Amino acid sequence: MARVYNWQIGREMSYWYPESRPKKQFAAVFDTNKCIACQTCTLACKTTWTSGKGQEYMLWNNVETKPYGSYPLAWDLKLLDMLNAGAWNGNVYAGETIFESAPAGERVLSWRPESEDFAYPNVGEDDCAGQVDGGASFSLPHMSWFFYLARICNHCTYPACLASCPRGSIYKRPEDGIVLVDQERCRGYQECVKGCPYKKVYFNPMTGTSEKCIACFPKMEMGLQPQCFVNCIGKIRMAGYISRPAQARPDNPIDYLVHVRKVALPLYPQLGLEPNVYYIPPLNVPVPFLRQMFGPGVDEALKTYRNADADLAGLLGLFGSTESVMTKWARRGDDVTGFDDAGTALVRVPMREPVYIRPWYDKVNNAFRVNCP
Amino acid sequence: MKTKTIRPSGFDSGEGPSLKAGGIRMRRVSILLVSAAIAAGVSCRRAPAPTPEVVALSAAALPGDPGDPAWQRAPEHAATLLPQDVVEPRLMKPSTKEVRVRALSNGSEIAFRLEWADGVANDLPGAGRFPDACAVQLPQKADVNAPDPQMGQQGRQVEIAYWRADWQATVNGRDDTIQALYPNATVDHYPFEARPLEPGSDAQRQMARRFAPADARGNRRGGLRESAVEDLVAEGPGTLSPAPTTTSRGRGVRTENGWAVVVTRRMPDGLAPRARTQVAFAVWEGSAHESGSRKMRTGWVGLSMREAP
Repeated sequence: MARVYNWQIGREMSYWYPESRPKKQFAAVFDTNKCIACQTCTLACKTTWTSGKGQEYMLWNNVETKPYGSYPLAWDLKLLDMLNAGAWNGNVYAGETIFESAPAGERVLSWRPESEDFAYPNVGEDDCAGQVDGGASFSLPHMSWFFYLARICNHCTYPACLASCPRGSIYKRPEDGIVLVDQERCRGYQECVKGCPYKKVYFNPMTGTSEKCIACFPKMEMGLQPQCFVNCIGKIRMAGYISRPAQARPDNPIDYLVHVRKVALPLYPQLGLEPNVYYIPPLNVPVPFLRQMFGPGVDEALKTYRNADADLAGLLGLFGSTESVMTKWARRGDDVTGFDDAGTALVRVPMREPVYIRPWYDKVNNAFRVNCP
Repeated sequence: MKTKTIRPSGFDSGEGPSLKAGGIRMRRVSILLVSAAIAAGVSCRRAPAPTPEVVALSAAALPGDPGDPAWQRAPEHAATLLPQDVVEPRLMKPSTKEVRVRALSNGSEIAFRLEWADGVANDLPGAGRFPDACAVQLPQKADVNAPDPQMGQQGRQVEIAYWRADWQATVNGRDDTIQALYPNATVDHYPFEARPLEPGSDAQRQMARRFAPADARGNRRGGLRESAVEDLVAEGPGTLSPAPTTTSRGRGVRTENGWAVVVTRRMPDGLAPRARTQVAFAVWEGSAHESGSRKMRTGWVGLSMREAP
């Protein structure tokens, strides 16, 4: 095992291969507060990529209800129980990652999902954590709660799927950090299916190989965001590229949300993979649960999000505003603009959408404007 | 100190929601283990004495059927299997103890008959499912000084003929549908089955291939196939790759208590009558989730040729 630096846990850790960061790293921010679990993202992905034989129960993108939902079944709770997790000393993780907890003979600590584990993608959907008694009233955080967690491959800096493959069939693209299974080389051993703690690699029984989210790389190469991003009804997602903390640029939307404002957090950073999908945590959920899921930055992230200033609110307004990847952004007064690498404006969004109120009576046509006949 | 997992009520054990028929599976395994034990005790085949190495007997014809009585003439070698515990991921728990090997050769080809005990036939691919399999490995060139028995070594290639139970089931006629693997699977629609694509047309096949990237890349790990055997080459662990063409043939059948598989391949370079070389075997037990480097294997075993009496 090599020693590598993982900024999300604030320390060096062991990994199967030496540190080798891509020229740029695909990354995304999901705002959980906006997700309504309509599964349009899931269907956009399914229609585009996984409508073939053997992909029937394969969801590269899924949305699960936390705390009871999970696909595959109990993917996170099973691993958390196995992990020799420890506390955080500030932003430094004191426990073991899945690489450091690997038992003898294994490359990572993991569990092997069975076919049945993929058969209930909607388990726990909309199940509330606890009863709501008569006469109860809500305050934040809610005493009974749930939230929706949209998930794709995290295109990790230290992918466990890649580390698990005994024949090097999984690679991380040096040009953009997207993690792919080489469909010519894979022999279907399912070590990656077992090794990925997020359980985002799927075995295709009809082709006999493992398949996973490809971050719609043909679109990303054209400067377009993936299908699950652009089809999102709630406009919860933004795709782009993330820098390392020391190189963070405030005019890079992902850097701004993750590094500058620290409002978007990695999913289970204690596992040690440096995942690159970042979540704005939900406001309505008890903080201890969120700390377990998103790490020690939760309290500050919630505070910042609750008290969003014009810059933060403006940038969040760019989510879902264009199909193009915005690698730069700027707010000028009441306008927020997204740019590409060349500095060309891709989209401009007002801080507040203008509101027009039409009179109830149309004098020109002598007609009443009513909602129903 | 390990932190306690914060979980919602109802998730009291590490198992998560219990939706599996574990009890049924255990019962089936018990019944099969009893059957296997009975079958093992009633074997009373008359055969030549076991040999300390694999002896390939000359034969005019090489039987492809593992049940062919011609195999009884060939001496049997019982090869002890060891867990692959050299490279990660390793097999930490031994499973199949031995593989019994007979060999026949017609001068241009050599056929191996492998038989091993396996109470449960695993021939369905799927998530968490692993088909039973076996392999015969030979050095590329017959030589008493063989390369590393663990898949060869750099510059010293080994040739491997690999048989898999799910491929055999497909060759035997199992449908290439998801329902053949998961009888209760439901499918609303495949885009390549929509009009105006004509069933069985090239256009339809091309459309289907867009959703089967391994197939499109010529990596035939699943689906319809004509042979249950694949020829491979390797120069060390992790380097396994398909041979330019597969010329080996093979067929596996269930015995009373396991598998019997015949793998027929061309004679390795330099192996002639009275010459010697090395051969190695591997067995994957699907029930034990064995696949890839998680396998039971032998070291090199001597392989010699002998004229039939």
